[in-house]
Amino acid sequence: MIKNKKIITVLLAASALVSCTKLDEHLNSTYTQAQFTNVLGPNGVQTLLQLAYVDLGTPFTGQDEVFSLEENTADESLVPTRGGDWDDNGVWRVMHNHTWNADHGQILQVFNNLNKLNFDATNVLGFKPSTQQAAEARFLRALSLYYLVDLYGQFPVRNPGDNLLNAPQVYSGAAAAAFIISELNAIMNDLPADNKPSHANQTVGKVLLMKCLLNQGAWANRASPTFADADMQQVVTLGTSIMGSGAYTYEANYFHNFDVNNGNSTENIFTYVNTSGVGPNNSGTDARWMMTNHYNQYTPDNPNAGWNGFSTVSDFYNSFGVGTPMVGVTQFAAGNISGLYADSAVDGRVGEKYYPGVTNISGIKPGFMIGQMYDQNGVAEMDRKGHPLAFDPTISPDMKETGSNLEVTGIRVEKYPPDLSAGPGTYEGPSGNDLVIFRYSDVALMVAEAKLRQSAADPAGALAIVNQLRAARSAAPIASLSLVNTGNLYDVNTLLAERGRELYWESVRRTDLIRFGMFNVIWQYKPSDAATYLVFPVPNQALAANPNLKQNPGY
Amino acid sequence: MTKTRLLRTLFLCPLFMLIMQQSWAQTKSVSGKVTDEKGAGVSGASVLVKGSRAGTSTDAAGSFHINVPASATTLVVSYVGYVSQEISIASVSDVTVGLVPDNTGLSEVVVIGYGTARKRDLTGAVASVQAKDFNKGVIVSPDQLLQNKVAGLDITSNGGQPGTATTVKIRGNNSLRTASNPLYVIDGVPLDGRSARPNPGSSFGSTPDENPLNFINPSDIQTIDVLKDASSEAIYGSRGANGVIAITTKTGSSGAAKLEAGISYGFNAGYMKKYDVLNETQYKSALTKYGVTGQDFGGNVDALDAILNHNVTQNYSLAFSGGNENGRFRASFLGSSAQGTLKNSSLDRYIGNFGGQYKFLDKRLTLNFDLITAHSTENILAVANNSGSTGNLISAALQWNPTQSFTDASGNFIYPQSGSNNPIAELAAFSDIASINTTLANISASYKLLPNLEYKFLYAINNSVGTRNTNLYAFLQGGIGGGIGQADISGARLTSQTFTHTLNYNTQLTQSLHLDALAGFEYWKSDYSNNSFAASGFQTNTNQFQISVPYTSNIQGANALGASAYVDPTTELQSYFGRVQLNYLDKYLLTGTFRADGSSKFGANNKYGYFPSVGARWVISNENFMKSNTALSNLSLRASWGITGNQEFPAGSAEDQYGIFSYGSGGLQNSVNPNLKWEKTTSWDIGLDFTSKNGRVYGTIDYYNKNTTDLLFQTVVIQPAPTANIFLNLPAQVSNNGIEVSLGFTLVEHKNFTWDVRGYYAYNKNLLTNFNPNLIIQTGAINGQGVSGTLGEAIANNQPVDVFYLKQFQGFDHNGNQTYAANPSFAGDPNPKSTYGISTTLTYKKVSLVLNGGGSGGFLIYNNTATSVTNIAGIANGRNISLNAYNSPEMPSSPVAANTRFLESGNFFKLRNVTLSYSVGNAGKYVKNLNIFVSGSNLFVITKFSGFDPEVNVDESSGGYPSRSMEYIPYPTSRIISAGLNFSL
Repeated sequence: MIKNKKIITVLLAASALVSCTKLDEHLNSTYTQAQFTNVLGPNGVQTLLQLAYVDLGTPFTGQDEVFSLEENTADESLVPTRGGDWDDNGVWRVMHNHTWNADHGQILQVFNNLNKLNFDATNVLGFKPSTQQAAEARFLRALSLYYLVDLYGQFPVRNPGDNLLNAPQVYSGAAAAAFIISELNAIMNDLPADNKPSHANQTVGKVLLMKCLLNQGAWANRASPTFADADMQQVVTLGTSIMGSGAYTYEANYFHNFDVNNGNSTENIFTYVNTSGVGPNNSGTDARWMMTNHYNQYTPDNPNAGWNGFSTVSDFYNSFGVGTPMVGVTQFAAGNISGLYADSAVDGRVGEKYYPGVTNISGIKPGFMIGQMYDQNGVAEMDRKGHPLAFDPTISPDMKETGSNLEVTGIRVEKYPPDLSAGPGTYEGPSGNDLVIFRYSDVALMVAEAKLRQSAADPAGALAIVNQLRAARSAAPIASLSLVNTGNLYDVNTLLAERGRELYWESVRRTDLIRFGMFNVIWQYKPSDAATYLVFPVPNQALAANPNLKQNPGY
Repeated sequence: MTKTRLLRTLFLCPLFMLIMQQSWAQTKSVSGKVTDEKGAGVSGASVLVKGSRAGTSTDAAGSFHINVPASATTLVVSYVGYVSQEISIASVSDVTVGLVPDNTGLSEVVVIGYGTARKRDLTGAVASVQAKDFNKGVIVSPDQLLQNKVAGLDITSNGGQPGTATTVKIRGNNSLRTASNPLYVIDGVPLDGRSARPNPGSSFGSTPDENPLNFINPSDIQTIDVLKDASSEAIYGSRGANGVIAITTKTGSSGAAKLEAGISYGFNAGYMKKYDVLNETQYKSALTKYGVTGQDFGGNVDALDAILNHNVTQNYSLAFSGGNENGRFRASFLGSSAQGTLKNSSLDRYIGNFGGQYKFLDKRLTLNFDLITAHSTENILAVANNSGSTGNLISAALQWNPTQSFTDASGNFIYPQSGSNNPIAELAAFSDIASINTTLANISASYKLLPNLEYKFLYAINNSVGTRNTNLYAFLQGGIGGGIGQADISGARLTSQTFTHTLNYNTQLTQSLHLDALAGFEYWKSDYSNNSFAASGFQTNTNQFQISVPYTSNIQGANALGASAYVDPTTELQSYFGRVQLNYLDKYLLTGTFRADGSSKFGANNKYGYFPSVGARWVISNENFMKSNTALSNLSLRASWGITGNQEFPAGSAEDQYGIFSYGSGGLQNSVNPNLKWEKTTSWDIGLDFTSKNGRVYGTIDYYNKNTTDLLFQTVVIQPAPTANIFLNLPAQVSNNGIEVSLGFTLVEHKNFTWDVRGYYAYNKNLLTNFNPNLIIQTGAINGQGVSGTLGEAIANNQPVDVFYLKQFQGFDHNGNQTYAANPSFAGDPNPKSTYGISTTLTYKKVSLVLNGGGSGGFLIYNNTATSVTNIAGIANGRNISLNAYNSPEMPSSPVAANTRFLESGNFFKLRNVTLSYSVGNAGKYVKNLNIFVSGSNLFVITKFSGFDPEVNVDESSGGYPSRSMEYIPYPTSRIISAGLNFSL
């Protein structure tokens, strides 16, 4: 028995020997915070900052992100249900007729994606960034907060290193605006002084500050915005310094600001950079033309040519003064591919003209697409049922297309000329068009607006700025300028209409309509609606997670 | 550090064996013969000295010879399928034992985790299925052997492609996580549960996973035990909560060398159930009905028939075994080519298995080893479960205009403008081949320190390496790829290792009380890595008639190349466990188990989880007051309680993780949660087992109640955050309550004719409670044009897990448009409430007929195929539509929408297999036990469901939340007729 005891003792000792793994986790592909800092050294901070820049891609590129919330809710865009396509559980229609609720998937994903930018930018600040890196990170956070307060009326802010299981502080109303403005003022001089549109610089910071100053009165009272004189004067000062710097000028061809070579545009102030054919984390701007093009546009061996969805409304199109009716206008004779649009006096922002590198490959003419479409050889295109592919401005009143013409209803808008740099017959995506976030003409129009809104209004100065812009676009000058005509959304002599014509489909329209007090009026395919819809609901998922968020009234 | 510790473990064991000294008492010699009911010698029967582990097994003629201690008085003779017998050897040294067949299975030895037990001694709910009772026909993966054999075990294939993974639920759906399959244990070695089939990095969509059990040769399996309650599962601790499936492979037996061979061929006899789309005549009348012009091309094709595979499934198996008193071995080989329902899909496998058991040092030392090495090649079809309007072969075939030929007069593929793809062109342009090499090696040594104290050490390694080459040739127009060519080369590796030490003490404490005690330590480690090269834009294979080298053989020719790689965090488990079993006079049995599981996955504050269980059995029939009963030979009542865990969440979830991404960026991708731990299931079970006196009626009834708390949940993170979700242990509960009834009858037992019937019925009710009432997590992605971003299921309080959450269908308006409610509401349960199975065997002389089938009831299926692939809108564009759509009042301009109209009853009964076999017996001088058979699988299904197969689980998870009972253009199930023969030499 003594022997047995010895055996058992040895066995127990043995099991003690083999049983002391500490169970520390080996991550293998990822890094602990300490490793991340050590491995990358000083570059680590730059890498973190770059992540915040990359975060701009998702919320600003997708057709179902900020674009949908700003444009489909306004008078510039809608997505009709086309028989078997684009019902998508009604998500697009409720955007345009203002009947969305707090479970809407797009409202949730924009909230999450903007907050990812908010988080990743904040996270940079916990890693001992340089002064400039900290300034860029705080700018990117301010940008996400600007959109959050504009869309949802509130935003959460964490400190670097916060435990994610704890609910963060939430800012709303005046406190929210004050937070963003104080952040921008604090970092302005630490941002780089160059004018490269690929990253935050002092001009970019000024533009965001201008937007905050212009809109904070609307955030405080969306049903009846007010504008403090000091804010307006500061907008003029900031804008004038940009306009006077000589760093930015209007492009001869409006669509060059959006085409595959727009990296060298002289109007773009802040962009999200894309490179042709480069896949990972390069979201590309493909969706901007695919969402609107018909399935058969471009070439049959390129199925991604179009999704046949997004359209604009004819009232908005007509605000360019092109003349009606547009249906049946022959833009060029069959076979005459390079022929210019007959009316060269038409506003250059309408497009419908030959665009080198695009029309000769695909037949597509950027801008508004209306009437018969032609391929690169000038041959008239057909829809999938074999009917002429002729876009018809008339959309069904309930936005549900039926009948044999359901594929061709709605004027299409191709603001970004497709990237066909790979040549005919192939498309390799993603595209190389940089996504425009801030553009010079917005600065000019904001200055004009502030001149009209300041206590000592300067309508002549505002008119001069607008006519300068119109001249650059080959549009006839206007004689007088007011802010808005509440009886006519598209009165050509208003600043709101000019902002529409210049900045259409650039994700600012909802904000503009609210600031000009026109968001709740009736426009095409939209009935009257309640003041509730001046701000989006806090998504139910976010509300359930963070008790500090407060649901907006009416939801 | 860990490695050296492991090595030390390995080397210490032999050391112990050397220092052991052993002294045995005096011995005497006993010999004898064991025969079956026909008087023939039984080879491989176990002969044990009662109360000790000393024993031998019979040779080929059924004879044995054993040296036993002089004090030994009784031998226990047992053989699988026969009632074990106790033979007195107090006064004799030569015995003849006639074994009697056991229909009840009560004498069977059942795997209970780090040991075995007689079924009659079990205190837990364990179902054991022997090889002779396995499903017949064409079997690819071992789980198919069990379909409809075990009450409470619900096995659903994730697709009809041979070798596809299955969704296995034991007693309902415990978890809100996707990975909630049971733990598989092969000969004592726990598997990881993942497969090394790589995931392509590019845009081919995701196809269902490969079955992780594909490397096991079904004909190597002796027994599969299904552990269903806490008393049996808790010894597996944090991996036991979803149940355990223990597979025991065959071993050799002592006696003359034996060779067994089997050959079978299978023929695809079409779809088990065809999806009803319009034929050419119906299509033409539909064109007229809806006023569609220009879509009658004058042809007559059936696209679903055109893609059917007519290759022959082949199976060749060979096993030889032999041994003597001190050692035995078995080697087997399988060469198999399983053909899919559809062309270009198959699974070829070559599996070798070599195992043995050898005894040394007067049989005190036993060495066991087993080596399985398998090579498989899968041809995978483009049947992505998340494709949109294009890119799936099944949708291309369903939508093909039946009046249009696939090629023109010159043989060029026709690409219609209808938005559907050419299925024949897709078959020619797409190839996706995965090859996986898997090794499972284990070696164990047991040493009897004392006659009743045994130490065992086991080391096992399971290594699996996969490569996958995916090609889409540029000539294909439309659909995925779009005329530029795409390719992807991917690779994956999965390695897991197990070290187990156990000490087993087995003694008769008093004359009436027996103790069996076990203590153990286990260390388990697993690593997984995946990489891929994706490329697009190729100059070659741009013409359908000039196809040469695959892109994956020359990927540098691409215009755009992308690479990705990741290595999952290492998972380590370190466990201490023990079990005590007490048996008082075979009347009162008590089992207690305990396991402490430490896991590297758990957060710093919760490194160890503790999992206790107790189980008791009262064998009423052994009570004195029952001695006079003439009705029952066995009647026992069982009860058990225990806690088990589930740790199936991604490794690394509890840690801060920083990643470096492409485009020069990097940052936090997971944030620390030091409290993250296992999910806890507390369950109890009450069971009754009974057998009639003549053994012709037997059954088991169980009631169970499972309550899962600390739910592992990928919940909504509080923004701002780096991700949308975070893993938490939610305070909510998932409950599963149910009843299982299994019954067996021997209806006729005659010399020439026997007839057995067995069946079961199981009912389970699933409910999620105490969940945040303000939160409805939507899941169940509905795919296709017109329903992008739509979700059809939800995780919500006081509802079953994955409850359908859809807009209520309200009929059609006067324009033939479907109308439906503005907002979704809860619309039914996707989890089957009842499952049942039945099998019967009729034997007349040498002919026997086996039928087996089963089904599920009380659940709904969402038919996403009908919503967005075969909907009425297709006819206007020249696509084919379903017969249901054609027969409805709906008009082609009706908006496509997801609503309750597409919820269908999932209730079904499926005749899984009918096998007719003829036992020729011995043929000629050498051939023995010749058996020939013909078998039909999936012969028919009775269901109202309109899709291919109501037994469907297409993975439509959304944001990491699982889905259930969604049908979306799944790989269809075929009816297979097979024939073959088996014999031995």
